[in-house]
Amino acid sequence: MTDRADVIVIGGGVIGSAIAYYLTKERVKVSLVERGDIASGTSGACDGNILAIDKMPGYDSQLTLKSQKLLDELVESVDYDLEYAQRGSVLVVEDEKQEPVARDWFTRQKEAGLPMRYLAGREVFEDEPLLARDVIGLVECASDASLNPMALVYGLVEASRSTGALIRPFTEVTQILQDSTGAVCGVKTTRGMMSANQVVLAAGVWTPALASTVGVAVPIKPRKGHILVAERSPRPARRKVQEFGYLLTKFGGTEGRRVEAEMDQYGIAMVFEPTEHGNFLIGSSREFVGFDRRCNHHVLQLMARRALRFFPTIRDLHIIRSYAGLRPHTPDHLPIVSPVPAVPGLYIAAGHEGDGVGLAPITGKLMSEMIAGEPTSIATEPLKLDRFDK
Amino acid sequence: MEDDTIVCRCEEVTVEEIRKAIREGAVDVTGVKRRTRAGMGLCQGRTCEKIVTQILVQELQQPLSAFKQATVQTPVQPITFNLLANASHD
Repeated sequence: MTDRADVIVIGGGVIGSAIAYYLTKERVKVSLVERGDIASGTSGACDGNILAIDKMPGYDSQLTLKSQKLLDELVESVDYDLEYAQRGSVLVVEDEKQEPVARDWFTRQKEAGLPMRYLAGREVFEDEPLLARDVIGLVECASDASLNPMALVYGLVEASRSTGALIRPFTEVTQILQDSTGAVCGVKTTRGMMSANQVVLAAGVWTPALASTVGVAVPIKPRKGHILVAERSPRPARRKVQEFGYLLTKFGGTEGRRVEAEMDQYGIAMVFEPTEHGNFLIGSSREFVGFDRRCNHHVLQLMARRALRFFPTIRDLHIIRSYAGLRPHTPDHLPIVSPVPAVPGLYIAAGHEGDGVGLAPITGKLMSEMIAGEPTSIATEPLKLDRFDK
Repeated sequence: MEDDTIVCRCEEVTVEEIRKAIREGAVDVTGVKRRTRAGMGLCQGRTCEKIVTQILVQELQQPLSAFKQATVQTPVQPITFNLLANASHD
């Protein structure tokens, strides 16, 4: 089998499928290759956030807002129920020590243009009555949303397929091929050769191994995250709730939280997400433990304990399932959406850590603009691969 | 089996929805689950997994032995937050 396409996209997760979608929309001939089933890696083991509240105010949050606008269009144009709901989200402020940091975060996000509110004292419990009585504040972003991440991937893939993209699941790329000038000319797979003058690596945590086949170093590491799934029940909160300490575990500084040392060791912070089906998800953990996707029972136990600290009324509700996924981590918490200067025709779109679902639309759009040589929707300097050389 | 027969009672997934998932590329129980939610409910597929496998056998015309069981995830049976959080040993 020799497929001929304009662009080969490697990776059938949310990033690869969004790239295939936006390229196909511009009438580019795309082949999407995936080692396993579509959405069987990180995109099948995550939650479905489109959040601006936890992004660094500035470029980071602007990128998310652009992506949210594109997602609004996708919800309308993709013929698939994405279970999209724009309920907003809140950060819970635990104590006086967190309050000034949280108020500062609120002010900076508001100045950056997000629809923010700060609730204190009684307002907290009028808003979310089942939160633990000792929490003292809520930071709200009204535009935050959620969806079913697997439905998003399948929706994007089906839309791409129906407009001409070639979808090749269960096809593993073993080598990126270069011509005599060093430019990309295709890929070698377990099901034969495929040729194209442009190849996009959108393989998340598996990107560095593929890039190394052409001698390119990519600083992405797998960061494992666990999630608990609760039975269908009346919701303990009406929208996404995260402890303010989540920002501390995300960006690395854990000072300011009064928790057992183990909570910090496993990067545990309470994240609550209601789903459209009446279940809710509880996160989160962050660990560098290689490519092991098995659930660690001890981490799950600590996560349940942390959830009860904020939602004491869920104590008798049942956990029906747990899973863990590998989030692609970069040293500066921004993804890589970039050409590879050393290998003409090769591009990378990976390293979104926990923001892949939210940033997939803008990533797909930017990649289609880069490949077409058009001006991009937002500056891409902060997303370049060579920023790590400096 | 009729198209509108419910296979997964917890999540109310029908035979037709499962066949559609297979047409869209699902090749095993886990693939069907990701696309339809069959097996994602309270019983975690204890009731429907065998029926989903039978539909895969029919639609993909492969022997039963070709299909692996779905990935088993902890907990093996529902457990309350309280019990998990405060169990004295792992």
